[in-house]
Order: sequence, then C-alpha cells, then structure tokens
Amino acid sequence: MIARLTFIRVGATMLLLALAGAAQAEPYLAAQMGLKCAQCHVNPTGGGMRTLFGNTFAQTQLAAKRIGNPEDLWTGQVMKFLSVGGNARANWNVGDVPHQSTANDFAVEEARAYFDFGVIPNRLSVYVDQRFAPGNATNLEANVRYWLTENALYIKAGRMYLPFGYRFEDDNAFVRQLSGINMQAPDEGVEIGIEKASWTAQLAISNGTAGAPEVDKGKLAVARAEFVQSAWRVGASAGFNDADAGNRRMVGLFGAYRAGPVVLLGELDYIDDDSISVGGRKLAATLAEADWKMAQGHNLKLTHEWFEPDRDVDEDEQTRTSLVYEWSPVQFLQLRAGVRVYDGIPQNDLQNRKQGFVQLHGFF
Amino acid sequence: MVEISLPTFGRGGLWVAPFILLLAACTAGNGAGLDAGGRPIGGPPGANSDFQEIQDTIFTPICTACHLGANAPQGLRLDAANSYAMLVNVASAEVPGTLRVNPGNPDASYIVKKIEGTAAVGVRMPANGPPYLPQDRIDLIRRWIAAGAPMALQPGDFLRVTSSIPAAAETLPAGTSRLLLVFNSEVDPSRVSADSLELRDAMDELVPLAVVRVPPGRTNVIEITMDRPLAGGSFQLAVRGDGPAPLADMAGRVLDGDGDGIAGGDRLIPFDVSGASR
Repeated sequence: MIARLTFIRVGATMLLLALAGAAQAEPYLAAQMGLKCAQCHVNPTGGGMRTLFGNTFAQTQLAAKRIGNPEDLWTGQVMKFLSVGGNARANWNVGDVPHQSTANDFAVEEARAYFDFGVIPNRLSVYVDQRFAPGNATNLEANVRYWLTENALYIKAGRMYLPFGYRFEDDNAFVRQLSGINMQAPDEGVEIGIEKASWTAQLAISNGTAGAPEVDKGKLAVARAEFVQSAWRVGASAGFNDADAGNRRMVGLFGAYRAGPVVLLGELDYIDDDSISVGGRKLAATLAEADWKMAQGHNLKLTHEWFEPDRDVDEDEQTRTSLVYEWSPVQFLQLRAGVRVYDGIPQNDLQNRKQGFVQLHGFF
Repeated sequence: MVEISLPTFGRGGLWVAPFILLLAACTAGNGAGLDAGGRPIGGPPGANSDFQEIQDTIFTPICTACHLGANAPQGLRLDAANSYAMLVNVASAEVPGTLRVNPGNPDASYIVKKIEGTAAVGVRMPANGPPYLPQDRIDLIRRWIAAGAPMALQPGDFLRVTSSIPAAAETLPAGTSRLLLVFNSEVDPSRVSADSLELRDAMDELVPLAVVRVPPGRTNVIEITMDRPLAGGSFQLAVRGDGPAPLADMAGRVLDGDGDGIAGGDRLIPFDVSGASR
C-alpha cells in the first residue's frame, strides 16, 4: 500500500514537472497553464474538490516555496475510495459608503469540506460539498457522477453548480450575480459532459429555482462549450429557463489569452428576462481581468466589471474595479488583499462605495 | 530574492485579447433622468409608503443584483413586480419554519435576521458586504414589518383588503389582542368605527372591539384592539362593505369586500386562536 502511494506521488510530481506548470482553482490559473478545469477539479466544470493533479500542483507549483517533508505529498485520498478536501477563508473587511461612517468586520467568508467517494475508481463517484460556515451547515453539492467513457463522457445527477461561463471564486462578480449561476446558488438536475483534447462541453437540465423548491413544471436548460488551446481559449454559454413567472434567456461569451506571465480573461453575458416586470427586461454584464504572475507564488489581479441593469434605460450602468494581490507563501496557504471600487449613478451612495479586504485562505 | 516576470506577447489567439480589452472599456452611467433606484423619473409612480421606499432604496438598487429573475437565490425575487408576494407570509427556503416576513413581528422575520447578520444559515445580506445596510434602512424594514407589512398603495376602482393579521384561516398564538387590516388605498378614517367591523366567536357571539382606528402615519391600515386577549377558539372578522357604515377610501371608493368587482360586500376573515394564554 505504501509503495503504491509513493508511486502515485512520484508519478504525479513527474507529470507536473513534465508539463512545466499546471492548473488549480480559478479560471486564470487554468488559462495560465493551458489546461481545462477538469485537470485540477473532480468536477469537470471546475470548483470544489481538487484532483490528485490539482493537489500536487498546489504543493509543487503554486506556492512560493514548499515546506515540510518532500515525501509527504497530500493527495486528498485519506483511504481507499475516499478523497477529501476543503477551503476556509477568513476575512477582515472594510467598507466605505459616501455620507456614512466607515465599517469594518472580521468574518468567516466560508469553510467548506468536500467528500468524493470513488466507489468505482475513475468511473463512479458520489460527491458532497458541504458548507459549515458561516451559519449552520448547508449542502452545496450532492451528486452522483458516472463516466460512461473514462475521462471523455460523463453524466452527473443531483445537486450541483450549473455550467455557465467561467466559475469564479468571487460569487459577487457582476457576471455571476446576473446569471444567478454561482457557487452560492446550486440547483438540482442532471448534467452531461464531454471532454475532448481541446474541447469541453456540458449540457444541464435543472429545476431552475437556484436550489429552492420547484414551483412549476418548467425547467432550466443551460449549455456551455469551450475550445482550449495552450495560449488562448474561447467559449460560449446559453441558457433558457421556462418558468411560470416568465421565461429567461441567457447567452454568454468568454475567453482568455496568455501573454507570458500575464493572463487576460473576459466574459460577456446578456439576459432577456420576462419574469422581472411587465414587458420583461434585458440586462448585461461583463468582466475583464488581467492576472500577472509576478513571480512564483505572487499574483496581481486587476478586474474591471460592468453591469447594465436595464437596456431600455440610459445612464444606469454600474462598474466595479478591483485590484487584488495574492501571495501563496507555502503550499495550501494564500494571503489575499484587495480593494474594490464601485461606480454607479451618483444619486445612489451604495453604488459608489469602496471596499477593502485582507483574506487568509487555507485549502487542501 | 523574488524575480519579477514581465509580460511577453506571442502569436496566436491575439483576437481574444481585443475582445477582453473591449470589455474593460465599459463605463458607469451618469444617472441623468434617474431616481436613486436607477429607474427613470416619471416612470410608473410609486406610492407613498414604507414598502415602496424599501423597494426603491433597497431591493431594486441593491438586492436585485442577485435576487432577480427565475434563477434568483433561494427562489427569492426582489424586483418590484415580485418582491411583496415572495416575502410576506412566505416560508424561508433556508429555514422553512421561519417566514421571510412575519407581518407584525420583525424579530421573527427571516429577512431581518439576514440583513442584521443573525440568521443561522448563510451569509449576512447583502452578500457582498460590508458595507451592509445602514441602520436607518434596517429600521425602515423593521418598521414596515411591525406595521403589518402593508404593500405599496395601489388605488384601483374600489377599496380592497390586501392583507390582514390574521390571514384567512390562520391560527394566531394565545394572548392575541390586536388585529390589523391592510388596504390598497388610504382609508377614510371618518368611516372607521366599531360599526364597520364585526368580530364574532364560534358561538356567534359578538366580541367587543375596544379601539378601531387608522394608526398615525399608516393611512392604509386599520388597527383593531380588544380590551382583553382573545380566548382560544374560532373567530370570524367581518369588514363591512355594505350596511349603514361601509368602509371607503379618501376618494369615496367603497370597499369591494367580496371581491366580485362591484362596490360593496363584506370581507370575511375566519381565524383561530390557539389554546389558553399562559
């Protein structure tokens, strides 16, 4: 058994070195390494539990340096057929709103644990993503994933994050808020996915209630496809929610480009929603991001977002610009600090606020 | 010593970069011709009520960033067309035993727990705080709920009861001695008296109403107070649209109590009061 684990560890390390880098959690990391989300996450659309590859990368490539015994490589596998993982983010937040006193607080942004029961290795898994904080425990994902063809075609059923655009860590990004598809709002349904050398594509059918009980017979259908090359990638998403409250149509374009240590990443989403008001409403949001890997373990992220709450109303647009520095001093640890500046209509103070945060992020 | 890497630009996929740079050029609006909620001035008028103010200053400009459309988190849509129906007397999706808005009881309303950060489940709202809602906005929501969570005034052809405490068929806790009626329009207080309302118990006996009034500042609400808590049992409250003292609004529009689209008719609200008070 020990010999087998050692073989896995050495093999994984060699694989990483052969690739001269690798992927991890956020889309920019995948773009930086020219890999797909499935390389580092058991969920082929990204987020949540990391694969053996992802865990190995986090220990050997992501951090500025690795400490501890070189042979003690965390793989996520705690026993045969069971792998675990987790994320914990502790924040100090400060907010400044015009005409109000500045507020700040310490907060647990999230503490989550992942469990992947690989009852038939590489083919059949039962997966659970449970959030333990803040507040009481909440289930975010609980699904069965079966690879009909190993690493090529799968079907997933249960509670899951839906595939649409890029899966950012920041659920407050305008594009993630607008679509309503983010890691705070899983839904229940079924997903089919295809993984090819340069392609990844998913189709999901769900209740379309963002995790709330189903209230009508209509369903949400979303599809996502991405063409991945070493230095660039481009993809598209589409969705249709057939709801008694009014139908909702979504389309999105997204892509990334790597220029040496800098990754440019963007997404544009457009939504036509009949459920908002009489006559419906058309909305749009964009995200443009530049990630500069200044040195091993150091990343500087500049993001500019734009939100159009109603295409029929002029001069109501909002923007959010963020500068975030991410330092990974040792494996599985990240210190993040950043500022976010909101810009909106001058008559609304909250649309013109500023935020700052310092975050200690531990993961495995 | 940390060695800094600088960008280099290679060939291939360069057409993706202009797309991303184009997205970075989008700017915010200057707000010309808009109200604080970002909606056109002169658009559909909002009525003068706390709920409309909540909608215009909190739900629309802040909460609908996420709570919008069929994919809204927890199914809670907070746009103007849906917010009231999704909040008042609706069970929370996170804690189904708690109503999102429990009319008359802000401390038992899940929305208050969420905006004050005391909910047992999930993050404090707004999720991207701080800043969270200023205390005066939280107080506004508390005040609205404490007043029975009346909806925004929507005067139509008739005066109508839009909500009540108790709702029809609701069971109130023991010790209840206060009832609320919420209307779609401003009630003419000169027509409000014990004669325009009638409360009977299961034995069809009249229950005396100590005070019936339009509370100060709540022009679309009638508050009914008994001089002692109601005993456990069944009751029926009748709101008169017929008879010598029918209710009407300030424009003289008489109550359409039975909802048949014709002025007149009584609105009957049967309810229960649980066991004896302790």
